[in-house]
Amino acid sequence: MKTGFNFAYLDEATKRMIRRKILKAVCIPGYQCPFGGREMPLAYGWGTGGIQVTASIIGKEDILKVIDQGADDTTNAVSIKNFFKRVCNIMTTDKTAEASLIQTRHRIPETTLNKDQIIVYQVPQPEPLRKLEPKEKETRKLHAYKEYALMHVKLYEEISQFGSVIKTWAYPVETNNRYITDPTPIPKFDNPKMNNMEALQLFGAGREKRIYAIPPYTKVKSLDFEDHPFEIQTWDECCSICGSTKSYLDEIIINNEGKKNFICSDTDFCKSNLEKNK
Amino acid sequence: MNIKKIMHVENLTHFYGNQIGCKGINFDLYKGEILGIVGESGSGKSTLLKCLSGEISPSAGKINISLDQGGVKDFLSLPEQEKRQLMRSMWGIVHQNPRDGLNLRISAGGNIAERLLNVSEKNYSFLRNTGKYWMKKTEMDPDRIDEFPLSFSGGMQQRLQISKILSSNPQIVFMDEPTGGLDVSVQAKILDTIKSIVRDINVTMIIVTHDLAVVRFLTDKLLVMKDGIVVETGLTDRVLDDPQHSYTQLLTSSILQV
Repeated sequence: MKTGFNFAYLDEATKRMIRRKILKAVCIPGYQCPFGGREMPLAYGWGTGGIQVTASIIGKEDILKVIDQGADDTTNAVSIKNFFKRVCNIMTTDKTAEASLIQTRHRIPETTLNKDQIIVYQVPQPEPLRKLEPKEKETRKLHAYKEYALMHVKLYEEISQFGSVIKTWAYPVETNNRYITDPTPIPKFDNPKMNNMEALQLFGAGREKRIYAIPPYTKVKSLDFEDHPFEIQTWDECCSICGSTKSYLDEIIINNEGKKNFICSDTDFCKSNLEKNK
Repeated sequence: MNIKKIMHVENLTHFYGNQIGCKGINFDLYKGEILGIVGESGSGKSTLLKCLSGEISPSAGKINISLDQGGVKDFLSLPEQEKRQLMRSMWGIVHQNPRDGLNLRISAGGNIAERLLNVSEKNYSFLRNTGKYWMKKTEMDPDRIDEFPLSFSGGMQQRLQISKILSSNPQIVFMDEPTGGLDVSVQAKILDTIKSIVRDINVTMIIVTHDLAVVRFLTDKLLVMKDGIVVETGLTDRVLDDPQHSYTQLLTSSILQV
């Protein structure tokens, strides 16, 4: 562990403040709690919110896994993992099942999470209504009074223009029959995993300085119309490495002729699936 | 016949600093009635409308409203949430400029759907069909349901705004100069549309205008305002044909004869 830092980089008073906000967020599922976001040693947009949440709840016994787009070996994931190794001297892992704390950007692992785990999402834009209503004062009222017509109008517009809802990521959800929540830019493929998840889900937005949470076993419903129910993405192909037909696939161009391959976006799932099938 | 009183206004007064906005306004509004408020610019008619629709809180006075559900309520002491809910479903404002009442970034159908979604209709085909129904009803082409408001003419935008408000089957509609800024032939057509619809669905309306032709054509009762106070009130035909107050006399005699 590098000296000159407090454990987990943030000072104890800051961690306590963030934990208080997390408790509040857990009490009001889906409600965005403002918090005193700190400057972190990386740029906004790279996970400053997620890192602050992780730093506040991480303990010496924790085993950390960090993923970016499902992968453990991408720049953002590796850097954040190294950061916590340096400032906490904790164990890290690539295996979803072994981790007690998972920080994620853009995916929920394919392996079902259990009640002893916490998943921390990095949130670029916590306000699902932002693009529909630019004023913060107004969006807060819309949440407070549960006036969510605008969100459905957006879905209406997509169906009338394209025949179906074309939003495939950051697909808005209703948490605990109350707050409309931005699930962060995860593909809508992952939305059903949020419903009744055993693990605690925490969301940190560094630039916007908001924390929100979905407690374990909470109802999370993706918005839809009675006659246009919510659907997740499907593929005709299977993963070209492990052959999975159940996971979220990335489309990758592999040569100059434009030949395409589909592989699991969750690298840990892909590896363990491959070993199992051997 | 026992007609239900749905709004009772007593001594409604609003000051802007020391300046009188409107003063001592009293009237009752009954179900199915169309009330006109006329007066020259600065006479306080818009202030009155803003007080009635909850946009500003008056300095003094009382507004009692009687809802389909929930009995008589003191409108001015309602919490903000209930006022907003009223304006989004049971009541509605048709603005002079349709761009104030429409969301220009969403299609015609989406604008109507927004209103219906406020009263919680989460069925796409229902939204679609109701949108088309109201466009037809206001004499628009239902095939243009997916077009954006900016691709419509001014008159069409006004029709769209009226469709949007009426689609939630409101109890009271406030209209602020609904035909202002439109040319006369379009005005006449829109007035025709409004008239045929209001008789059809028995909606209660308060129309603010400076145009005596509009009130003559649409309204049952009339308030004539000058300098913030009501100078004359009565049945529209009576007031216009036999004006008692000198200002009303001036007003009726200033109509240009072509």
